[in-house]
Amino acid sequence: MRLAAFALATLAFAGAASADDENKDLELIPRAPPQAAHVAPAPSPIFTGNERVYVENALAFTSLRDDLLVPFPPPLPPRWEDRLFADARLQWPLGSTAFVAYSGRLNVVAQEDLGFPNRGNVTHDLREIYASVEPHPRDYLDAGRINLKSGVALGFNPTDFFKARAVVDPLTADPSVLREDRLGTLMVRAQHVGERVSITAAYAPRVTDPAPLAADPYRGFSPLFGLTNADERWLVKASAQLGEGVNPEVLAYRENGRWKLGANLAQSVGKSTVAYLEWSGGRRLGIADEALAFGREIGAIPPSAPAAITQGGEERFMSQVAVGASYTTETKITFNLEYHYNEAGFSRADWERWFAAGEGRPDSSPIAQELWFVRGYASDRQEPLQRHSVFLRADWVDFLVPKLELTGFVLADAQDGSTFMQVEADYARTDFWSFGFLAGGTTGGRRSNFGSLPREASVLFTARRYF
Amino acid sequence: MFERLAKLALAAGLAVHAASAFAQSAQEIVAAADKVRNAQQPFRSTLTLTEYVRGEERSKSVFVLFSKEDPSGHFRNLLQYVEPPRDAGKRVLLDGQSFWFFDPASQASVRISAQQRLVGQAAIGDVLTVNLAVDYSATIAGIEAIDDAARQKRTCWHLEMKAATDTAVYSRVEYWVEQGTFRPVKGKFYSDSGRLLKIIYYRAFAERLGAVRPAEAVILDAVDSSLATIATFGESRFQDVPDAWFQRDYLPRLQIR
Repeated sequence: MRLAAFALATLAFAGAASADDENKDLELIPRAPPQAAHVAPAPSPIFTGNERVYVENALAFTSLRDDLLVPFPPPLPPRWEDRLFADARLQWPLGSTAFVAYSGRLNVVAQEDLGFPNRGNVTHDLREIYASVEPHPRDYLDAGRINLKSGVALGFNPTDFFKARAVVDPLTADPSVLREDRLGTLMVRAQHVGERVSITAAYAPRVTDPAPLAADPYRGFSPLFGLTNADERWLVKASAQLGEGVNPEVLAYRENGRWKLGANLAQSVGKSTVAYLEWSGGRRLGIADEALAFGREIGAIPPSAPAAITQGGEERFMSQVAVGASYTTETKITFNLEYHYNEAGFSRADWERWFAAGEGRPDSSPIAQELWFVRGYASDRQEPLQRHSVFLRADWVDFLVPKLELTGFVLADAQDGSTFMQVEADYARTDFWSFGFLAGGTTGGRRSNFGSLPREASVLFTARRYF
Repeated sequence: MFERLAKLALAAGLAVHAASAFAQSAQEIVAAADKVRNAQQPFRSTLTLTEYVRGEERSKSVFVLFSKEDPSGHFRNLLQYVEPPRDAGKRVLLDGQSFWFFDPASQASVRISAQQRLVGQAAIGDVLTVNLAVDYSATIAGIEAIDDAARQKRTCWHLEMKAATDTAVYSRVEYWVEQGTFRPVKGKFYSDSGRLLKIIYYRAFAERLGAVRPAEAVILDAVDSSLATIATFGESRFQDVPDAWFQRDYLPRLQIR
């Protein structure tokens, strides 16, 4: 007992000396009075906390390559563009268990060779408009245009089946931004969220014929259902909480009479790392054969035109995989490193055939048009054209000063070493204003994947005001 | 000789006994302080984070937080940003070893690590309801009279805490708890490398969720001393929070009403 008392007394004595040091921290406390007496501002009766409205101006300049091995058919990408747009995500409650949601963007565009004024200057992207009801607790029924997303990877999501053809006129190729600015699909969706299991079923009808690859610059206020609802599609997916944070998701998807299966899993490994794996597979053609078949279907390629390139023309089971990990440092930098595999993509031999078929042809040549149609098709479906790629992204929060976020990524074709890279700085000057700068470019030889693209480098300046 | 050995053995036994009594009581002190900070029934609370740079207010974020203690003593937290407009609708799920961040703009849920919950828009790990007694093992380092945030002298247990689970955000914590009231007064939070990251003062004790609890936490950035954040709990009430809310697929479905 005495020993314990002695120990306590010793500790207390030692503590008295260090307590004075502890009080020095008090000098760092902001002079603001305690705010507990103030009630935190209640959410506005109009806004339920899910809405976001902002206006942004984006000014972009692009430099183009003039020594392409396979010439790019006109029109070339614009070398400058200014886009002023109002972006809104809104929600209107209908009683306590239902609401209507809208998400869209109104653009005023000026760009090289577009002219002003004409009906191409004003467009509206209807991302979402749907009604949602909750007839029983955590049973949901939604109908309308809905952005249904799946997947756990960052650079490529094999299980995000509704991503195909959904991105229109992207401002940047950053995959996290592409996910944000894309069209939903007209569908009916039912979901049950249980304590450990969640099940979702969705049906998207075919409502029109497929639209051409490039979004019509004169589309005005068209909802572009030709991009999102040109095929009948089904999706059923389920996720389960299996304990210790293990939360896999499995998916079955049907499009054009073909089934695809998928699964994804993300798992914490220690305190700073999350590892993830995403896979999908199903019977299909190689991407070049699929693109040419699609081109003939929509009339972009004459039915009698010979195939400029083929990957064998045989349908078989093919897989797509994204595997990677994120790591966050104590200095607030998060790295994502991923490997992407697209079995339907181009092998080294496919690339050689692509360059051999198009090299030296005039840009008006049907062969050159076909070859670039294949590349446009892969991009339109947000699918890597290359078979193997490596993706590295770094995100540094509070870079140099608070609220300045620096993001950069490199996407490398693992077969030829060519890259597409981008760095972006975004500074939230206040709670309502933010300013951004983005620079990106492609590197590689003339006979490489990214080195053969017409866009060599681009810069983008943005100013955004939130309301 | 034998007598000497017997005395040494007795002294050693007493020391071991005293040490184990300390360890036990230290854990009890931390648990009692947890009960002062957190309600044991499920609840909903509004939380405001005001950020200061060199003493000047820089930005303000408002969240709605749903919290529920699970049988193991861990808190399950689900929160949604209400302000600023840039972040409105973003949600974070922190449930044991499962951390997810949902952005309504991309409609995507991204799994984040324990470390990542401390940066950027998920930087709320400090102020969420956590039971320190579950994640850390504590010993008493001393008894000290230190000033609280209002510069009032408080006689405190000075506790030394080490991370005991993977879900512990910090590797080491120094914690001062007032004797008698078990009110937390101050905490110092360290990284794996031993770097002091944050200093937190608990203040503005007031009636909330059925007991007198700190309504504010002053979070001082120890790496950049020009930065400070004041976390203020606003309207709070007990509310049933179904377990299904802590599924990743529920994140897009959360409705603040």
